[in-house]
Amino acid sequence: MRLLSRRAKEKLIIAVLIALSGAAVIPLFWIIGSIVWNGVSVMSIEFLTSLPAPFGSSGGGIGNAIIGTLIINLFASGLGIPLGILTGIYLAEYAYDSKMGSAVRTIVESLSGVPSIVIGLFAFTLIVLTFRHYTGVAATLALGIMMIPLVAKATEESMRVVSNDLREAGMALGIPKYNITTRIVLSMAKGGVISGSLLAFARISGETAPLLFTALFSFYWPTGIDQPIATLQVLIYNYAISGFADWVAKAWGASLLLVLLVMTINVAVRTFGRKKCGGA
Amino acid sequence: MATKLVTEKLSAWFGKKQVLKDVSIAFEEKQVTALVGPSGCGKSTFIRCLNRMHELNPGARVEGKVLLDGLDIYGMDPMDVRRKIGMVFQKPNPFPNMSISDNVVAGIRLSGEKRKADLDEIVERTLRSVGLYDEVKDDLRRSGASLSGGQQQRLCIARALAMEPEVILMDEPTSALDPASTSRIEELIRKLKSEITVIIITHNVGQAARVSDKTAFLYLGELIEYNETKEFFESPKSPITERYITGRFG
Repeated sequence: MRLLSRRAKEKLIIAVLIALSGAAVIPLFWIIGSIVWNGVSVMSIEFLTSLPAPFGSSGGGIGNAIIGTLIINLFASGLGIPLGILTGIYLAEYAYDSKMGSAVRTIVESLSGVPSIVIGLFAFTLIVLTFRHYTGVAATLALGIMMIPLVAKATEESMRVVSNDLREAGMALGIPKYNITTRIVLSMAKGGVISGSLLAFARISGETAPLLFTALFSFYWPTGIDQPIATLQVLIYNYAISGFADWVAKAWGASLLLVLLVMTINVAVRTFGRKKCGGA
Repeated sequence: MATKLVTEKLSAWFGKKQVLKDVSIAFEEKQVTALVGPSGCGKSTFIRCLNRMHELNPGARVEGKVLLDGLDIYGMDPMDVRRKIGMVFQKPNPFPNMSISDNVVAGIRLSGEKRKADLDEIVERTLRSVGLYDEVKDDLRRSGASLSGGQQQRLCIARALAMEPEVILMDEPTSALDPASTSRIEELIRKLKSEITVIIITHNVGQAARVSDKTAFLYLGELIEYNETKEFFESPKSPITERYITGRFG
C-alpha cells in the first residue's frame, strides 16, 4: 500500500516536472513561431538587398540595416575580442591567484552586470557629445565593451582547464612563459575561445539600447563608421512602433533575420563545441 | 670520475614548511643516480631544485647551492638552466596540440633561440635514440597524444633529449606505465648514460638496483645514505636504509 503510494507520488512529480518544463519552452516556440509566421511573408531579394523605400510608398528593403549590423558587430568584435582574450590570458596565466588578478576579475564581472543602456550612455557621453553627431564609432565602442567580459571569461575558463602538466613540461624545456601561454595553453584552449567569441558576437547582435543614442539610424547605405548607421535592432524598434502596416511587417522580417543570425551562431557553437569535447 | 652536478647544503621550503634539509650530494658525470625514499620524503622537491622548477610554486624557497660544472645554477637564467638540465615527468605529458615530430622539436622551436638546425634530422635522431622511430616513422604528423602511454613517455624523453641537455632528471618516469613499457624505458636509461648524466627518482627499489650506478636515500627531507648501488643494497650503513630496502616501511 505504502509502496504503491510512493510510486504514485513519483509519477505525479514526474508528470508535474514534464508539464512545467513544457510550459517553460512554450514562450520560446510562441515567439519564434510568431516571428516566422509574420516575418516570412516579407522575405524577398528586394527586402534583403534594397534601401528602405521613400516614406509612403511600399516596397524597398532593409539591406542597409543588415550591412549596418554586420559592420558594427565586426568593428565591435575587433575591439572586444582581442581585449577580452588578453584579459582572459592575464587572468588565467599571469594573475590567477594574485590580488591584482582578483581585482581585475571582479571588475570584469561587474562590467558584465552593467546594464547595456548605461554602457551606451557612456559611449554617448564620450563620443557623440564630443564630436556632436551620432556615429557608428560610439556604437562600436559600447558593444565592444560589452563583449570584453564575455570573451575574457570564456578565455580564462578554457585556459584554466588545460592541464598544468603541460605548462610544467614547457617550463622544463626552457620555453619562455609567453610561448607556453600562446603556443601551448592558448592553442589547446582555442576551441573555447572561439566559441566564447562567437557567443559574444551573438549576444551583442541583440543589443538595442546602446545603439539608440549612438549609431542612431539612417535610411541610406553606410558611408563610414563615423556616421549614423542603420542596424536591424534599431530598425525593428523604429518600424514596430511606427504604426504603418508596411513598416510593422518589415520589422517582423528584420526580427526573423536577427533571430536566425543569433540562433545559427548558438547552434553552430553547440555542435562545434560538442565535437571538440568528444575528440579530446 | 668527474662530478657533473653538486648540491651544497640544499634546503627547500613550501611556505613555512621545510621539506629539504641541507642535502649535499655529488652526481657523477655520465652515470645513473637513483633517488629513493618513501612518499613525501622530498625526492620530487629535491629534483625540482636541480632545474629551478621548485621556485615556480607560490611560496616556495630554496637555499644552498647547486653547481653545474662548478657554476651555481641559481646565478644563471632559469631558462638556460632548464635547457641544460632536462626533465621527464611521472605522467607522460606530450603536447596534445602537436604532432609527434613537433613534440620532439617543441623545445627548440619555442625556446626562442634562433638556432639554425635541421629539425627533421633531430626528430629522426632523437626518436631513434629512444627506440620510437620505427614505431612511428610512417606517420610523424599524427598527434603525440595518440600514442600509448609507454610510447608517449619515450616521446617525452626524446623531446627532452632534443635540447641536447647535459643532465636529465626523471621523476618516477615509469610509475604510470605497464611492465613491458617500464622495461623498455629502463633499458633506455642504461643506454643514455653513455651520453648524459641521469638522475632518476624511483619508488621501486628494484628499479634503482637495475638501472643505477649510485643510489641515494632520502628520508624526511634529509640525505640518509648515498653509495654505489651495489654497496647500497648489499650492505646499507644506516638502519633506516636497511628497513626501507627490505620493504619494512615506505
